Amino acid sequence: MATATSVKLVISSEIRLVDLVHQASERMAEMAGFDADEALNVGLAVREAVINAIVHGNREDPKLKVDVTLTAGSDGLKAQVRDHGNGFDPDKTPDPTEKDNLLATSGRGLLLIRAFVDDVELRRQQRGMEITLTKRAKRKPN
Amino acid sequence: MKINVRQIGHVSVADISGKITIGEGDVLLREKVNELLDNGEKHVLLNLEKVSYMDSAGIGELVACYKRAKEKEGIVKLLNPSGKVYDLLQLTKLEEVFETYRDESEALVSF
Repeated sequence: MATATSVKLVISSEIRLVDLVHQASERMAEMAGFDADEALNVGLAVREAVINAIVHGNREDPKLKVDVTLTAGSDGLKAQVRDHGNGFDPDKTPDPTEKDNLLATSGRGLLLIRAFVDDVELRRQQRGMEITLTKRAKRKPN
Repeated sequence: MKINVRQIGHVSVADISGKITIGEGDVLLREKVNELLDNGEKHVLLNLEKVSYMDSAGIGELVACYKRAKEKEGIVKLLNPSGKVYDLLQLTKLEEVFETYRDESEALVSF
């Protein structure tokens, strides 16, 4: 990512800190050149990744941290979110848009993430899960 | 997030403003709708016109409200979801679950 600006946030597993990361993500998306609506989408995607890390990865253990790295550049925005818990298995998350699952009260986080960014990569680490979200800048017409 | 409830005939109209998100908005929504249902109200219209966005927890709480109302033989319907909120309802296919109205008068007579 050429001429990139990076921010790293290390937060304890507290839900009240989710807004802080959301706001930082939106701001970084704006710095990468996205308009307000696209920046909100990026913020929502990172928000969901952080909620997953806190709730499902770290099981809200305040001793366990969540690492968030946001990188804004001319080619877009990249966000890496990593928990340090037992992680979660994304393959075991049922499709929340299937008719039988529509009335589930949870399990929509990955759906939102995948809808709001261009690429989603999940990597299981020795301890914890790392999710990398990429939102590419739109190419300007020649 | 703020919720102001108006009683119009047999319908409780909850005007919600702000965002419905984890840890704050979702809890307030749950408490308010539970209070209405516990007081015997069966017809709840959630006015989402001034809701800027929801996260997955907020969406989950909307579904939970719908289910709790059904358990008590009531119903929760939606009024005027804003652009982003409407996008989220479409994305999650919850527009197939919730009766959604653009006009309050039309919504009120639908109960």
